[in-house]
Amino acid sequence: MQEKTYVSGYFPDDKDLIVAIKELQEKNVAITDVRTPFPVHGLDTVLKMRRSRLPRAGFIAGVIGCAIGFGFQAWVFTEAWPLNFGGKPFMSVPSFIPVTFELTVLFAAFALVFGFLMRSNLGPGSDNIIFDEEVTNDRFQILLEADGNADSLQESLQSVGALGVQLHEVKS
Amino acid sequence: MYKSFEFTQKIKTFLIALMVIGAVLTVVGVVMNLDHGHRIWANVLLNGFYFTAIAMGAAFFVVVHILGEGGWQTSIQRIPEAISQYVPIGGVTMLLVLVGMHDIYHWTHPDPDDTILLGKVPFLNPVFFSIRTIVYIAVWTFLVFKIRKMSLASDSSTDIKLFTKTRNWAGVFIVLFAITSSTSAWDWIMSIDSHWFSTLFGWYMFVSSFVAAVAMIIILLFVLRKMGYMEHVNEEHMHDLGKYLFGFSIFWAYLWVSQYLLIWYSNIPEETIYFVQRQEDFGMIFWANVIINFLAPFLILMARGTKRKMNWLLIAAVIVFFGHWIDMYVAIWPGTLGHADFGILEIGMTTLVLGVFLFSFFRQFAKAPVVPENHPYFKESFDYDNIR
Amino acid sequence: MYVSPVREPLISGEKSYTKVTEDIYAPMTGKPGKAWYAGLTLALLALMFGMFSIFVTVWDGIGTWGLDRTIGWGWGITNFVWWVGIGHAGTFISAILLLFRQKWRTSINRSAEAMTIFAVMCAGLFPLIHMGRLPLGFFIFPYPNTRDVWVNFNSPLLWDVFAISTYLTVSVLFWYMGLIPDIGTIRDKLVPGIKKKIYGFLSFGWTGSARHWARHESMSLILAGLAAPLVLSVHTIVSFDFATSVIPGWHTTIFPPYFVSGAVFSGFAMVLTLMIITRKAINLEDYITKTHLESMNKIIIATGSIVGIAYITELFIAWYSGVVYEQYAFVNRAFGPYWWAYWIMMTCNVITPQLFWIKKIRRSFAATFVISIFVNIGMWFERFVIIVTSLHRDFLPSSWSMYTPTWVEVGIYVGTFGLFFTLFFLFIRFFPVIAIAEVKSVLKTSAEKFIKKGK
Repeated sequence: MQEKTYVSGYFPDDKDLIVAIKELQEKNVAITDVRTPFPVHGLDTVLKMRRSRLPRAGFIAGVIGCAIGFGFQAWVFTEAWPLNFGGKPFMSVPSFIPVTFELTVLFAAFALVFGFLMRSNLGPGSDNIIFDEEVTNDRFQILLEADGNADSLQESLQSVGALGVQLHEVKS
Repeated sequence: MYKSFEFTQKIKTFLIALMVIGAVLTVVGVVMNLDHGHRIWANVLLNGFYFTAIAMGAAFFVVVHILGEGGWQTSIQRIPEAISQYVPIGGVTMLLVLVGMHDIYHWTHPDPDDTILLGKVPFLNPVFFSIRTIVYIAVWTFLVFKIRKMSLASDSSTDIKLFTKTRNWAGVFIVLFAITSSTSAWDWIMSIDSHWFSTLFGWYMFVSSFVAAVAMIIILLFVLRKMGYMEHVNEEHMHDLGKYLFGFSIFWAYLWVSQYLLIWYSNIPEETIYFVQRQEDFGMIFWANVIINFLAPFLILMARGTKRKMNWLLIAAVIVFFGHWIDMYVAIWPGTLGHADFGILEIGMTTLVLGVFLFSFFRQFAKAPVVPENHPYFKESFDYDNIR
Repeated sequence: MYVSPVREPLISGEKSYTKVTEDIYAPMTGKPGKAWYAGLTLALLALMFGMFSIFVTVWDGIGTWGLDRTIGWGWGITNFVWWVGIGHAGTFISAILLLFRQKWRTSINRSAEAMTIFAVMCAGLFPLIHMGRLPLGFFIFPYPNTRDVWVNFNSPLLWDVFAISTYLTVSVLFWYMGLIPDIGTIRDKLVPGIKKKIYGFLSFGWTGSARHWARHESMSLILAGLAAPLVLSVHTIVSFDFATSVIPGWHTTIFPPYFVSGAVFSGFAMVLTLMIITRKAINLEDYITKTHLESMNKIIIATGSIVGIAYITELFIAWYSGVVYEQYAFVNRAFGPYWWAYWIMMTCNVITPQLFWIKKIRRSFAATFVISIFVNIGMWFERFVIIVTSLHRDFLPSSWSMYTPTWVEVGIYVGTFGLFFTLFFLFIRFFPVIAIAEVKSVLKTSAEKFIKKGK
């Protein structure tokens, strides 16, 4: 069993949070995580986060859904069980459009949602650690992982104006 | 801070040259087709309608943002505003159509035993048709002038009343245009295939011209930026314009499919004739219309990055602009000529009208500051961004 | 983010982030009031009556309905289309208004989406009943079977199956993904215990990490991009049920966009009707303000007028087409035996919403409440008019007949109200009715307190 140490501190306002993050970055403090009650504007650029690849996953799944939807209908009506309706050709592309579209959207939506949940380690029974229950209310928290330097991290958090700086020891 | 646009001699000379080339080609084309009156008049109708519709589409763009309380578009608003001022000039072209009515519209001379066309006479007769055409042009001209005038008035006044007044007039615009956009499309385009009818047609044509208008805004924005103006337009604005072009191209495709699928599925000869004729005699062009206007903007602008780059946007916009020209072509040619013809006349007249259109735009654009700096939402336009 | 001082605040009162959490959490704590129990009881009674009516239908057969040889579709399909239509507002608000960056959607999207899901469930019930044997509902899905036959993908009714099940699935996903941060908030508010465990489980372990938020936003945007055409496709495909046929009054190309517009119209009306009551009942007046009301009413005028133009277009083109059957169908609608239904539809859908052009009415909760109910009624009659008046006259006059519903059909309709309201009452009790995180994210730009300070 391994033990990890985290240092956390919070800000009551999102503007102070971004200023503090910038100051910490200047001091070369690596920021493990930032937790906020709502998506804070501009945080992604400050933390230099890479743009999510979820859209790409959605696109690929959409293409698969589209191919399956169209391919299956085409197969059913030309190979499996050709069905004459109103004298139209068996391969009647216009009437395949609606189902093809729906399956495209369905596949893409599933890929997006499950991609999001899996990448973020969220889901039923997920046991992510919550360090401060007020984060989902009104606190903008900075989380630093300590590697034997917990004291200096606490100091630097305090120096940028963080409130409620504390130490968390987590068994993992 | 915002460099005013100057309609320099250089641009003027270029545009006049464009018009002269267009005019020469048109004359050559007309002489070559003197015994094909249909073709000449079909060209007049196409270019007259297309560019007028673009101008109205641009006006709609302005108005819908006024009503929707949009803020971002104020940075580019003067472009669609200036485009919309083309309406009276386009109106003159549409009045020309009245002269060539006989060569375009079959209903002007129905066969005496054609009971269907005779039944439509109360609506489709030259006099009433001319009155309607004049009314559309007059109403539209009034509306685009009104909206433009109030926007220009904001340059010298910060009175908030002006803002409210603009919104009220935008409401008037939207109501009148909601009716006339459909009826004008029935009159000018749908009645070419005099026996045919489709309730969706007006909305379809409206969306087609709106997409073309957005494409035109993007093209002109690009041109202006190349000339060193509109430097304040940033990636976010391009992104939003790109989304418009992307989204409404899909919406256009949706309407296209809706109309086609319902008629194809029901298989009623009176209705299918419209598509049968187009598929058989205009096969390639007919399908190219759908593929170009849907797939090109869809594939080019799907990614986030391409919407934010002016060059990609321009490629999509140019394709869409010509794509919807083809859309109009597919709507007009089968009922007038009955077969696909493309040559000097088509190139010439489109060049000529495009030249006039651009001349009108630049002249109007030079008349006022390039941005409405006193617009209450103007500052918002520079402080927002799209979700990554 | 700069916001013009011209814009009205969306959220009134002195609100801080904590206050927002508390205000929205409040209705979920303590004992529910008497009104809630009374409402739930009433809804459950209606639901039971509906279930009894369904039982009668299945046990005795479809003969218990007022349908006959010519009029094969009556109340059942009318209610189906009506409920699907109502189910369009939620995803419209959360998807299309998200794409258009309309901030006012944050206060209403959560409950509107919930209504969407419940309405679609009510709608889905009718096709199932029409199958005669409820447990055989899975027949409509293409699954490998011993007969080697597949479903008919060329049938608009099957498109409906795909459209509505996809719509329900995507709406639930969208709704729930939006909910998890707020369930997380509720979880952290609760004292340790079984309730906290349940909300903890439902919150999917939400932490509020910046990375999660970034991904969440990216996902929401793309989902919105997918859901926007999906919303359009659903009622489009419902309209195909009618428009692909050759029945006069049904086969018209304007149906797809006109049905979509009508759906958003009726959906917004239903959202308004319920939100006006809910905001009072659970003290959310500061979050659902006149500004929201005005924006929603503008959409009501826009979509209502589009519907009105579509009515007139249909009427005009019926004359213009020169098709005698088409012409008869429309004259018969307006002046035939069902004239009253037609004029109720016209009055409620086209005329009364025009009152919203007047600013005072547009901003009045009382007036909006009344007009929104008118719209609900009008949109129900629209479907009734389309379905029944087109069917009660066949090409052969010998097949002409009239249609009146029986108590069983009415009972099933009442039952769907029971289902809808039961779910809605449970929803407002156990879930945050307003998107807490989203409201917080627009608080600084749109709350009265901050805007005033800015000035």
